[in-house]
Amino acid sequence: MIEVKNLKKTYDVKRRDGLFKSHRETIEAVKDISMRIDAGQIVGLLGINGAGKTTTIKMLTTLIEPTSGTYSFDGMDAIVHPAEVKKQINMIAGGERMIYWRLSAYENLWYYGQLYGIDNSVLKQRIENLLKMVGLQDKANLPVETFSKGMKQRLQIARGLINDPKYIFLDEPTIGLDAVVTRELHDEIKSLAKVKEKGILLTSHYLSEVEELCDYIYLVNNGELIVEGTKKDLTDFVFLRNQYVFSTKGMDKNVYNGLKRHVRNVDNDAEILFENGKAMITSNVELSTILAGFAIQESLTIVELHKMEPSLEQAMIKLSKDMKKEAEREILYKSLVG
Amino acid sequence: MELKVLKATITKEFQVRLRAYPVSFMVGCILTSFYTTFGAWLMYHYFFRGQLSESFGSLTGTRDYMSYAIVGSLMYLFVVRTCLNVSRTLMTELWEGTLESLMLAPFRRVSYFLGNMLLQTITTFGETSIAALIGVLFGLRIHDFNPVGFIIAVLLSLYCFFGVSLILGCVMLYTRNTYITQNTLFTAMFLVCGITFPKEYLPMWLRVLGSIIPVTDCVSLMRASLLGGFPQDQMVKLVIRAFVIGTAYIALGMPLMKKVEIIALEKMEG
Ligand SMILES: Nc1ncnc2c1ncn2[C@@H]1O[C@H](COP(=O)(O)OP(=O)(O)O)[C@@H](O)[C@H]1O
Ligand SMILES: [Mg+2]
Repeated sequence: MIEVKNLKKTYDVKRRDGLFKSHRETIEAVKDISMRIDAGQIVGLLGINGAGKTTTIKMLTTLIEPTSGTYSFDGMDAIVHPAEVKKQINMIAGGERMIYWRLSAYENLWYYGQLYGIDNSVLKQRIENLLKMVGLQDKANLPVETFSKGMKQRLQIARGLINDPKYIFLDEPTIGLDAVVTRELHDEIKSLAKVKEKGILLTSHYLSEVEELCDYIYLVNNGELIVEGTKKDLTDFVFLRNQYVFSTKGMDKNVYNGLKRHVRNVDNDAEILFENGKAMITSNVELSTILAGFAIQESLTIVELHKMEPSLEQAMIKLSKDMKKEAEREILYKSLVG
Repeated sequence: MELKVLKATITKEFQVRLRAYPVSFMVGCILTSFYTTFGAWLMYHYFFRGQLSESFGSLTGTRDYMSYAIVGSLMYLFVVRTCLNVSRTLMTELWEGTLESLMLAPFRRVSYFLGNMLLQTITTFGETSIAALIGVLFGLRIHDFNPVGFIIAVLLSLYCFFGVSLILGCVMLYTRNTYITQNTLFTAMFLVCGITFPKEYLPMWLRVLGSIIPVTDCVSLMRASLLGGFPQDQMVKLVIRAFVIGTAYIALGMPLMKKVEIIALEKMEG
């Protein structure tokens, strides 16, 4: 089990103001993050760009040392024994880095295998298995520079497994990949955790990715934990409710009020707004057929009906509004009680 | 030390280079050799010919300036090629995006650097030999070959240049700059290490600077073993001094590299 408590990382950077002028600045990349990763579990670290995900991963992989906080790795103090930790972990990042483009797939895996001091006969077998697993056995001897993005990413996964790590850190692994490759990669990640019992930490800024893969989720913003929990715990306020844009020909206040009643009949908590001749609806209930039904019932021609994929940015905005409301409510409550 | 890492690093570097520039590698190698010797020849014809002072002979133990300058230039070529490539290795890893995956692995850095050094030495030997042949065309003559001295000079040079490479590598990785660093440092070495003229011609403070760079002693030693004119006891003194300074560079370079590595990883954003 990996357990970190109150991890913090600050950077002292020099910022240039002009040719000869500069000033020092302290950047708090990670302010306070505590988390836990168990074997066989996929843990998600969700956050928008600049939230502190990569910095957290770098601390967990011992590439950088935390400014403060504790890090226990299977009961061992990881900050004191980074070399021990390195043997049992690996990291895979999105993008096309972390492999030698001038070497072939096989040569890459061989070199990294040597760096981990793996016995040659074991290594040979492992490379064969890994290449087969990521579907590169036929391309083993081609230089990586001739590979597509997806192939490079797959080779990186093989590299990340070369030392048979117990814990794997994935930093936005599907960034820049198309839907098909992403799907394959997701299946791979799931089987690593569920079949091979690896503990996995995955960072992402895609809600759908985290929702699909992760058993437990930490949402970070500005280097701090905002909420944590299982997918179910977070459904309401992170994954958001269904959002629809709906409009019909000749949609006026009357039609809108009719629609409002119609929707409220199904979901009394639905939020409905009327903007620029369109209705924006947010609800916990699947409303596509209800909305279509309304148009048929009223003999209206549908101009627009679509369901929006919630983005993390939207979720964050909503979440911060909710938290503000919560805080206000608490203040009000306190002032009423005493 | 880990032999596996050493061996693998040699193989990897060889594969990378062969693929990166098989033709330009060869051409570059021959051209560098040519320019190096040609440079020495130009120096002689435009600066020194006919005006070699009496002091040159007494300072260097030889009156053959061309051979003096060519041996110096060959050694300089050797220093530049080895130190440049070895000190640049981590920068290259940084550029190619492999620094982090490399640093994730728990291996000992000495083996990695030594591997790079050894591969570089092999290619540099090739280059220097070609340059030496070209040098003969320009007037390089071996006057008094001392095989034991030569072998000691070669080994000691490798040892010292490894130390110099480490320190240079630290500076490069720290400043994240290779061009300004390498050009400044190599030009400085060319001036103060007695490459094409005796360091005694320099003002005192530059001479002091030259004497704390082990390249200076290695060049003198190499010349002594090829051109003669150096008493035995003075050679022994040179060997000891170069060894001590080289050891100091390595002893300082290894822990410093570890520190700079940490700084480099900290500086990497995203
Ligand atoms: N090496 C560094 N030096 C200075 N600031 C950094 C460094 N690395 C990251 N940061 C800053 O810390 C914040 C968090 O960065 P990062 O962890 O990369 O976020 P994420 O991976 O979530 O996008 C950002 O504002 C970033 O600019
Ligand atoms: Mg990131």
